Amino acid sequence: MAFRKGAPPGFHVEIIPPKQDSGKLEEDLELFASKFERVMESGFTASLTDNAMGLLAFQGHECITELGLRARPDQVLIHLNTFHTKQNLDDILDSCEKLGITSILAISGDGSPRLPKLRPADVEAEGTASVTSVELTRYIRKHYPSFEVGVAFNPYEPVTHEFEKLKRKLDAGASFVITQPIIEQNAVVDRLLAEHPALPVTVEAWMSKRLFLLSDVVGYPIPEDAAFDPIGTLTELIGLYPGCGFYLSLLGFKTQYPTIEEMAAERRDSK
Amino acid sequence: MKILVCVKQVPATTDAKIDPETKRIIREGTKSVLNPFDLYAIEEAIRLREKVGGEVCVLSMGPESAKNVLIEALSMGADRAFLLCGREFAGSDTWATSYALSKAVETVGGVDLILCGKQAVDGDTAQVGPGIAAKLEIMQAANVSKVEEITADAVTVSRMNENGFDVLRLKLPALLTVLKDINEPRVPTLNNARKARTAQITVWGPKDIGADPEFIGLNASPTRVVKTEPPAVRNTVTVKIGGEPADAAKALVGEMIARGLLSKEGTE
Repeated sequence: MAFRKGAPPGFHVEIIPPKQDSGKLEEDLELFASKFERVMESGFTASLTDNAMGLLAFQGHECITELGLRARPDQVLIHLNTFHTKQNLDDILDSCEKLGITSILAISGDGSPRLPKLRPADVEAEGTASVTSVELTRYIRKHYPSFEVGVAFNPYEPVTHEFEKLKRKLDAGASFVITQPIIEQNAVVDRLLAEHPALPVTVEAWMSKRLFLLSDVVGYPIPEDAAFDPIGTLTELIGLYPGCGFYLSLLGFKTQYPTIEEMAAERRDSK
Repeated sequence: MKILVCVKQVPATTDAKIDPETKRIIREGTKSVLNPFDLYAIEEAIRLREKVGGEVCVLSMGPESAKNVLIEALSMGADRAFLLCGREFAGSDTWATSYALSKAVETVGGVDLILCGKQAVDGDTAQVGPGIAAKLEIMQAANVSKVEEITADAVTVSRMNENGFDVLRLKLPALLTVLKDINEPRVPTLNNARKARTAQITVWGPKDIGADPEFIGLNASPTRVVKTEPPAVRNTVTVKIGGEPADAAKALVGEMIARGLLSKEGTE
């Protein structure tokens, strides 16, 4: 299982499926396929986003099916947020099951006016005001027990609140965690690892040079011209968090991927 | 049953600009989208087809780029698409547009039910749907929130009014304009989206639909836009309230009372 603590190589490569309004859909699908196949070949995990930032995109599972890609069960992580109809949610989970995919990342998601929001009754959570990743996790674990469900952890939220939320997510059946991006040692992530030593944790590493895009995530403005070395930072994070997996967001396939493969080989050799 | 949906390409609402000279929306270089209200009409048409069988046609009038909104409708599951395109149509107001679309409906032929979104978000007139029904001399209901029943010769709907709802039975053919409450539009599947991008879209000029040139375009339009201005930009300020959660909550409630957003009664 790709998320088992310390299991090499532990790289999770984010792949964003083509957008619904793409003017060059076939080209985008080809690119998706090439990235996906390369991640499979490398032995990494392909993390397929679900309407990231609320921008309408095709679903990861349908790209795999439509393009006839071979999904190695342990190497695909499907993101699933709360902006779906009940029918759509079940279709996605059924399709993933048929593809042999075993891991789902349950997140609340960003939403948009074009996306329907799950209602509490859809996930048998009538007592709650709205559906969050907690209710979604519980629903998946109850009706699709073959899936391992992961959840997000945000070290930039008020700490007490975030740990309480994590407890609710774990109680609902979550079995692994992916953090928001960090670019240096992070005291909240340190606490997470200390308090949950057996919990598989994947640290998100920001692979874009445009660090200022993280401003909204961290909650303070980062200057547009802030210098940032993604590979150097990832190397540092790997040293700081040797037992964790690493989620690589906005990875450059042409420029950075060969280096990541080399780093993975080094990690394998060192183990 | 043959159901036809009229759709419109509109500027993305966050991106609309107005030409100060002509007072018209500048469409060049502006991102265009399918009129959001039309999504509900397309979805309802597809649901009705799934229920009673038949086909769903989509019709638009606009420049060549309006094919994109027809492709979106086909991606959702519509069967056929028609575009009225040509400089002769340019500048048509709601009267001339209703005329042109009604001629296109006649050319498609055999249409039992016409669905439109309640209005387009660029003009906001809500006149074209009813205008088409008037030109075709068929029954119509605007602001429909639910299709209660449909048979081969009639449709029963709930129509919103100022005090609640009317339940109306309309003999087919008929035209409905629909509200957002009517359904949740589906997101296209990849399989449908790929098929839609290679689907044939029938493009018609005025002659193809037998339109009288005197009734289309700017010169045939009785409406003159005298002045159009974008709404004033709202200046919003985000205030972050720090401190312990209990103190922050009190401060937030205090602020809301001060701004008249919350009554002081019952907050102590």
